[in-house]
Amino acid sequence: MTSRTGLRPLFALLLASWPVRAGAQSQKSVSITPVQSLSFGLLVPGLRGAVRITDASRRAVVALAGRGPVDITLVLPSSLDSPTGERIPLQFATGDAAFLNADGSTISTLDPLQVNRVQLRNDRTILFVLGGTAVTATTTRPGQYTARVTLLVNQPGT
Amino acid sequence: MNRTLRLVAALGMLALPTLAQAQSITGSIAATATIQSVFSFGAPTALSFGNVTPGTTASGSGYIPMQRNVGVIYSLPDGATTGQLTGPGPAILPTYTCGVGTTSTAFTTQWANCTSTAALQTVVGASGLVNEFVIFNGSLSAAQTNTVPGLYSGTIHILATPN
Repeated sequence: MTSRTGLRPLFALLLASWPVRAGAQSQKSVSITPVQSLSFGLLVPGLRGAVRITDASRRAVVALAGRGPVDITLVLPSSLDSPTGERIPLQFATGDAAFLNADGSTISTLDPLQVNRVQLRNDRTILFVLGGTAVTATTTRPGQYTARVTLLVNQPGT
Repeated sequence: MNRTLRLVAALGMLALPTLAQAQSITGSIAATATIQSVFSFGAPTALSFGNVTPGTTASGSGYIPMQRNVGVIYSLPDGATTGQLTGPGPAILPTYTCGVGTTSTAFTTQWANCTSTAALQTVVGASGLVNEFVIFNGSLSAAQTNTVPGLYSGTIHILATPN
């Protein structure tokens, strides 16, 4: 009996671990869905073009779904580039990113240069939005310029 | 019992690494911009010969600013009648020199003539925003001004085509 009694905490520990493990597995359903590109639109050479996070038609939007805390890290491009190698420098600052609820209400504004944590829940989608500033020069040539913003979503272990 | 203990411990150890596991995923979105072409004439300054005494010579100068960040082809769509003046007497065609300058007062590139509907100057591309002036200098001979008094006027049409 003594030894059986001694086993009980071990079994209890083991059983207690299974639900947590199951929880950890259910968290492996975090998804990233790009909704809208960051579009600076038509820019005039020599002028700065800024996209605010309140600019619904031009800001970048990414939908995040899943459960539990996630850390969002951005790999931000330093410039928009043309096919011929011309560059338009990009600037990002505090307030150029935010987490929004699906209805558009703001959860928090962010510094896109930092790692930002948000709590995901199964019953809601969170929108990550990003703005920024493109700085053209008078020597910037006409044409199309593009870049890619990469999101790293890390769900920390419990 | 020892065997059971070992099994429990093994199961527990299997579970624990899973608990510490973190998940990372990545996604990307595009960022885009379009730099627009700049290609426009500004407000012209008229070429005026002023009040001319009949039988004397007269001259005048005028220009129109041009701003662009692309290449250009300049031509004169009116050809041989470019800048012809009409008034109460016979039409007068002044003698013109014309071209483009970085200032409004001097030619950087003077055109071969001021009567051609063909390309007078072709510039391929631009390294940035260019501000220049299309300049016309006109002169009237004494014989031309010896005519019927009155106001004589005309329009110089300049065609700039993006290149």
